[in-house]
Amino acid sequence: MNATTDKAIRADRAAVPRLEFVEVRKAFGDLVVLDGVTIRVDPGEVVCVIGPSGSGKSTLLKCANALEPIQGGRIVFDGQPLPADAEGIRRVRRRMGMVFQSFELFPHMTALANVEAGPRTVLGMDAASARARAEALLDKVGLADKAAQYPSALSGGQQQRVAIARALAMEPEVMLFDEPTSALDPETIGEVLGVMKRLAEEGMTMVVVTHEMTFARRVADRVVVLDRGRVLEEGPPRQIFEEAREPRTREFLSHLEWTG
Amino acid sequence: MTLDWSVVWEHRWALAAGAAMTIQLTVLTMLLAVPGGILLAAMRLSPLRLLRWPATAFVEFFRCTPLVLQVYWAFYVLPSEFDVRLSGFATGLLALTLNVSAFNSETFRAGISSIRRGQSDAALAMGMSSFQAFRIVVLPQAVKRVLPVLATTWVALFKDTSLVSVIAVSDLAYTAMQLRSRTFRILEMLTAMALIYWAMGYPQAKITDWIHRRMAGRE
Repeated sequence: MNATTDKAIRADRAAVPRLEFVEVRKAFGDLVVLDGVTIRVDPGEVVCVIGPSGSGKSTLLKCANALEPIQGGRIVFDGQPLPADAEGIRRVRRRMGMVFQSFELFPHMTALANVEAGPRTVLGMDAASARARAEALLDKVGLADKAAQYPSALSGGQQQRVAIARALAMEPEVMLFDEPTSALDPETIGEVLGVMKRLAEEGMTMVVVTHEMTFARRVADRVVVLDRGRVLEEGPPRQIFEEAREPRTREFLSHLEWTG
Repeated sequence: MTLDWSVVWEHRWALAAGAAMTIQLTVLTMLLAVPGGILLAAMRLSPLRLLRWPATAFVEFFRCTPLVLQVYWAFYVLPSEFDVRLSGFATGLLALTLNVSAFNSETFRAGISSIRRGQSDAALAMGMSSFQAFRIVVLPQAVKRVLPVLATTWVALFKDTSLVSVIAVSDLAYTAMQLRSRTFRILEMLTAMALIYWAMGYPQAKITDWIHRRMAGRE
């Protein structure tokens, strides 16, 4: 499987990357969080970003859709640098889906209304079409029967699956996952990872910040190790998990209680 | 001193009209001061100094001067200096609305600030404008969260409407005071006034308590 994936990556290298971080620098005051990060994500690729906490992984994703401004370098989406104007940024955000560690479902809306919200308000879709799309997506994540429930009545895993459906409702060209299973009870992690794995198999371009090493190993095309705001190393999962070049990568991985 | 309670019954319709006026003032003021408070809160939270500063000045002025002064000011200064002529009712309503808007603004500001950033991030990430994120995602949650405080403000406002009696708006307080000086039945009229305010205010206070209790157990 790895051999064919590698070939696919090489073939796509000629094409325009879907998302590219080029020498990105981000600081909060004096605290440098991203110190010249360069990552390329090709169409259909699943890139898992791993690394110790505080390494800048989550900030990286927030920079990708301009929720956080960057101080240097550039972020290129589909061949175009992120626009500087508010309207331009909104247009780009419509094409990127984001899933948060703490779900961030809108608590005053039902599951269905959460999924409809984007198509209704941002895409200006009519009520019937938005509803049909939202119902289909809830069905896709296995929650068709929870459409009328409010988030507070759902388990963590169910909430996160609704959040994934909500992001998919915009028909994004890339999905950004920010530690999507870190806030979940162990028994519900599997259902969320299952949904993500299916998305990957359907060819969705994904950037996944995660501590789930088994997922990274099985689903990622490429793993990027971030440490202290820099890319420590990157490569296919097998290379990173079994023959890491950098001592710090090996050290980080050895601290994780993972069973591969 | 012999008490003559018949005087209260005799003027029951005047007192009822005064009570109706008090309720009308309370309801209208709140109807105007809720949007007013939201607008001021949004201005104070804006990144634009041009919006932030006037709103801050407005709120700090009206919050930190006595309401009775604001009522007098609207009554005397508006017509004489700005040639704005309003009825006594409209003047009282204006002063109350400006005052309560200033208080509501602080309530909404606290409520809006209490909604964690991830909520607006999630709204923005799907491509909503800042205004859409505010209106569709942040504000409804903030309003729900500050409902108990708004209820408390409501009860305070209900009693504070009596201050418009100083500019001869015939609310319950003004009517009762007028009847007192006309009939010289001081104790009877003041007692009647107290009982009517209490009879109207007590259920409101109970409803407020109920809202507080109901919201306390929730996120």
